[in-house]
Amino acid sequence: MNRGLRMPLAMLAAPLAFFVAFFLAPLAVVILASLSDTANAWTLEQYVRVLADRYHWEVILVTFRIACLTTLVSLLLGYPLAWYLTRMVRWRAWRRVCVILLVVPMFTSNIVRSFGWMVLLGRKGLLNQTLLDGGLIDRPLRLLGTETGILIGMVYVLLPFMVLAIGNALSRLDASHELASADLGAPPRATFFHVILPLTLPGVISGCIMVFTLAVSAYVTPALLSGGRISVLSMLIFQQYSSVFDFHYGGALSVVLLIFTLVMVGFAGRIGRTRGDA
Amino acid sequence: MPARLLLRLVAWATLAYLLLPLLVILGASLTASPYLAFPPQGWTLDWYRQMLADPSYRAAFATSSQLALAATVLAVLLSVPAALAIARYRFPGRQAASALLMSPLVLPHIVLGAALLQFGGYFGLVRSFPALLIGHTVIVAPFVLRAVLTLLTPEQRALEEASYDLGASPWSTFWRVVLPQIRPGIVTGSIFAFISSWINVELSVFNTSTALNTIPVKLFNYVQYTIDPLIAAVSGATIVAAVLAILVLDFIGLDLLPDRK
Repeated sequence: MNRGLRMPLAMLAAPLAFFVAFFLAPLAVVILASLSDTANAWTLEQYVRVLADRYHWEVILVTFRIACLTTLVSLLLGYPLAWYLTRMVRWRAWRRVCVILLVVPMFTSNIVRSFGWMVLLGRKGLLNQTLLDGGLIDRPLRLLGTETGILIGMVYVLLPFMVLAIGNALSRLDASHELASADLGAPPRATFFHVILPLTLPGVISGCIMVFTLAVSAYVTPALLSGGRISVLSMLIFQQYSSVFDFHYGGALSVVLLIFTLVMVGFAGRIGRTRGDA
Repeated sequence: MPARLLLRLVAWATLAYLLLPLLVILGASLTASPYLAFPPQGWTLDWYRQMLADPSYRAAFATSSQLALAATVLAVLLSVPAALAIARYRFPGRQAASALLMSPLVLPHIVLGAALLQFGGYFGLVRSFPALLIGHTVIVAPFVLRAVLTLLTPEQRALEEASYDLGASPWSTFWRVVLPQIRPGIVTGSIFAFISSWINVELSVFNTSTALNTIPVKLFNYVQYTIDPLIAAVSGATIVAAVLAILVLDFIGLDLLPDRK
């Protein structure tokens, strides 16, 4: 064997074997199951079942709408917060406290965080009580079991990922670019849109990919905040594997989710690359 | 300047939004009422006492900790050599190997959990600690790989080669030069790996049972049917654990969001 190949191969043998056996092989089993029926004959029947049914299209649409809105809202809230943390906070101790506040949710389970929102968003929850007492609404808002409720919980769970991705890009930004732009007479707004935003775009995109992929496949948060009224793709998948035990049909649903995720990741990566070259 | 003030207000509101649900849980876990109440009605630590007295919670905490620790150790053992091979050598299939080892970061965990359940079924490897460990190792290994890879820079390489030039063996170069250089990456990666395993539901939910349960899955199954101060106390305990972990990280000087240069 080529001498230059022996070392890397020896070092990669164990990790690659582990991933082939416990990652690729199980995924292959799912894909094969999705292409066959209970009699183990090859068929595309499972996909026809998924894609020919209006209900599934609605679930797919809801899943995507929630994931896209979660990404958008996280970006709109995350950019200002990242900006504030990296460029506006003067007092170091307060900055440390802020970063800790940002990271604590990341270190707690989705369950715990969603549970907090179940308490807050309920009919008699803190939010409704406050709004009622303040005379802002006449009767409690229904938030649990609506897409708005799921969105509030999802943004909450995923926002820290966005803030860290953008914050890292902002903190690496070379101050001389902005100074040059300002020296050349650009107003702050123009400097932001023509200099800072394009330079932090890779961070924005990696944050968006992270948030979107986690949102589109999220199970716990939608399951807890939907109150059984709304279904997303991951909930259908879980149902097939945990109670219906139809691995063929569940496999087809899993492959649909996988494909959607990979297409979005590839698409976002492409935007990042073309903009990065420009 | 109004724009700056607006930005500041948005940032503060967002921070409050991040803090609110955690405060609600911690508050609700201290209520003296027999039902969940926020603001708490009277103060008591009874719910925490009740949690500690329940062997099933103690067992779940133990399972979660052992699982996270074992998965992290396994992830380090697999990812450190992989990172060195990927950063040091040019060989055919290098990109593919790296993509494969990183892909659990973007693939839906629920799909992987389902896949491992079905796959494990062929070998009788379901609802057992090894089944949980395998799945958790797959999803946490990329954190270590990514953290170590970012430290394997050309500057790091130069020191490694200096060590060889000075006559050190590969073994002693690894222990005395490379390992100290990548140690911060191993530490950061391990922390993210440990946490991701510790809080995972999507993967564990397929391979847990009443006898073998992790804390998040136990919470998940409970919260769907009953909401009481006891469950708030269990959640509160995990929040306290998270805060302690972060304070330790802060203390050892890990900066999650680097300061501006």
